[in-house]
Amino acid sequence: MYGGGNVFETMKATALADEDPVKLAEFEARIDRGEKIEPTDWMPQLYRKQLIRMIEQHAHSEIIGALPEGTWITRAPGFKRKLALMAKVQDEVGHGQLLYSAAETLGKSREAMLDDLVSGKSKYSNIFNYPAFTWADSCFISWLVDAGAIVNQVANSKGSYGPYCRALERICAEESFHLKYGHHCVIHLATGTKKQREMMQAAVNRWWAPMMHFFGPSDKISVHSEILMRWKVKMASNDACRQQFLDMYVPKIWELGLTIPDEKLRKNPETGEWEFTEPDWEEFKRVINGDGPCNKERLAVRKLAEERGRWVRKALLAPKAKYVTPLA
Amino acid sequence: MALQSLDPRVSRLGIAEDSLSHLVPKGDLDQFETYEAFVQVKENKPFEHAGPVHAPNEEMAFLFAKEQYSRRGMFCIALCVIKTENIRASHFTDNGQDVYDTLDATASGEETESFEIFHLMKRGKQHKYAGNVMARDYDDALVAAKSLYQSAKPVFNIWVVKSEDILATDEDDQDIWDTLKEKQYREAIAYKAQDKIKAFKEEQAAQA
Amino acid sequence: MNTEALKDLLYKIADDQLILGHRNSEWTGFGPLLEEDIAFSSMAQDKVGQSWQLYQMLTELGESDPDTVAFMRNADQFHNCQFVELPNGEYDFSLIRHFLFDTAELIRFTMLADSSYEPLAQLAKKIKGEIKYHKMHADIWIKQLGAATEESIERLQKSLDMAFPYALGIFEPSRMESEIISEGFFSGEEKLKTEWLSKISEILDQTSLTLPDASLQTPVYGGRYGTHTEHLQPLLDEMSEVFKMDPTADW
Repeated sequence: MYGGGNVFETMKATALADEDPVKLAEFEARIDRGEKIEPTDWMPQLYRKQLIRMIEQHAHSEIIGALPEGTWITRAPGFKRKLALMAKVQDEVGHGQLLYSAAETLGKSREAMLDDLVSGKSKYSNIFNYPAFTWADSCFISWLVDAGAIVNQVANSKGSYGPYCRALERICAEESFHLKYGHHCVIHLATGTKKQREMMQAAVNRWWAPMMHFFGPSDKISVHSEILMRWKVKMASNDACRQQFLDMYVPKIWELGLTIPDEKLRKNPETGEWEFTEPDWEEFKRVINGDGPCNKERLAVRKLAEERGRWVRKALLAPKAKYVTPLA
Repeated sequence: MALQSLDPRVSRLGIAEDSLSHLVPKGDLDQFETYEAFVQVKENKPFEHAGPVHAPNEEMAFLFAKEQYSRRGMFCIALCVIKTENIRASHFTDNGQDVYDTLDATASGEETESFEIFHLMKRGKQHKYAGNVMARDYDDALVAAKSLYQSAKPVFNIWVVKSEDILATDEDDQDIWDTLKEKQYREAIAYKAQDKIKAFKEEQAAQA
Repeated sequence: MNTEALKDLLYKIADDQLILGHRNSEWTGFGPLLEEDIAFSSMAQDKVGQSWQLYQMLTELGESDPDTVAFMRNADQFHNCQFVELPNGEYDFSLIRHFLFDTAELIRFTMLADSSYEPLAQLAKKIKGEIKYHKMHADIWIKQLGAATEESIERLQKSLDMAFPYALGIFEPSRMESEIISEGFFSGEEKLKTEWLSKISEILDQTSLTLPDASLQTPVYGGRYGTHTEHLQPLLDEMSEVFKMDPTADW
């Protein structure tokens, strides 16, 4: 699962100057025809770089995203929930694997990406730096964070890069179980006992702000983002994704008798747009830059997993093993 | 002091609280070899590419591919893995051009080895199994495939693999796909709760 | 039919599966490589799923519903062997346990496919594929790591030596062993153990690992009748933390 607010690299004015104009024109014509780009096709450096960055962040978000929900994996109440949560968290790790593979086709190895994750060089979705205090938090994540991710992923699955589309197609199919499972959990809490309701409401109160951050700040219109949109790297604006999410899910939250901690939240009947209190983007930046409640823990866990797995990987590595990039 | 987490599993890992202050880069990268996994979704459907796995050898690649690409048993009845470096890919074509039409060699006619052919029928989709050819080498197999498997529908990319380089499900192990049917917890369809919402709304209305 | 003997058999198998499945699920997200993380989680799910089926069978025989049985009992009411409740440790121990336990499981369920209790025989047939895959997974890993680097061999050997007496505890005879056998529910722990020893040797012989001499070991018994290590009660408290907030609630 992954939100918007991709951190794209800023582009130098000369970024396209060195590209072969004939090849560039062919490349753009292929995208305009709606055909996908495949790994061994010619592509501008900027396209390659931004895609690696975007898919890599997406992949990191999956394996780091497994941690907040994993917080409740040993405590899920009852067999159905226990099995489902195990399967769901497993899927997140599986999605990470698929996405790393897609990014690898562009020329960066998975191990190099994991290295950059642990060292803090590359980012992941901000929302996973928040803690899951209660079982209800894990239900919120399963339903609504996944719902937000689906909005984003469905948009991205129509992008131009073949391997990313293939990975997303598989991922979106699996997400339908996540979404239904999460909704099912939330329904049970919201329509359950007083204690369950309170638990659920408290989780909504805690997670609403990170959820609004999830899609990222309004995109600045720049030459850069116009090119990324034309090349079908960025498929929808952060605001459009946020609006779509609110439109689809706020009514579903309200119908369960839950309140959302934003007095300004309402759908403007004239514009059809949702209005809300502007999220605190200073906090968003602070958390992205490492100062959130769980950043340190998330990376420390990942780092430990890498370190403790090292003897295993060393023992398995054949001396003559040669790494090659996945084909598709 | 070990890091205390809301996740009891993490607390048990005994991570030193200052573990991130002394970050050592991983150094030599321990990246395994790459394998491509192919699955057969149902009987009489061709094998299609599912995605890659990294593994130290073929046997483990098979184990890993099974769980990564067929853990929903109902979508897989057979699996095979091929080491990526053993797959020869043709170049890509686009805009309706059949990649077979861009090959200009002729097959040697010397049939020495068995090869398997996979086609990409649409950019962005999966390569699917097309069939088998006997040929002298990879290039020869490509040309041989043209006469056997080219059709009215254009192919945009072709993968050629020696038959011996494929590790497929053993006949005797076909039963590893027979698992408990009680796995609906993995399926969206198992989660119906509209009746709860309805009852809740009725209750709210009655109270109002 | 001797229902008490049957329940005794079902409880210990179900409890083993549940507790080990729970332990294995703790690895999710922390595995040594992504692909293995996924594979290990599948096996954890299979185990918990199998225990659920067995508890349902017990419900049919008059016991409480599966959630109550699994989430509301205390450690002294559990029948699992102590082996499965031990903490995961590092991957070497988890793998060795997986290998030793699942080899026994495959033989056990193969034997159970001939059980005179038809529902059990049916279940054993249904999950044969799952368990076969678990054993395949364990064998491949042990053969790899058991013959790789000095470190991997040493780690596995140490875990094997530590685990072995506990693993022998899997075969702690039931108080109703003779009834279980004479009723044809199951051919018995002793037979299982003999076959198990030969199966694990078969794999270990292909590695640099040495199987401890079973005759010199004292098996760790007691788990089958409620004697457990200090690790089980905290595991159960954790597992039921949410459930026990309100056992009558619909979660």
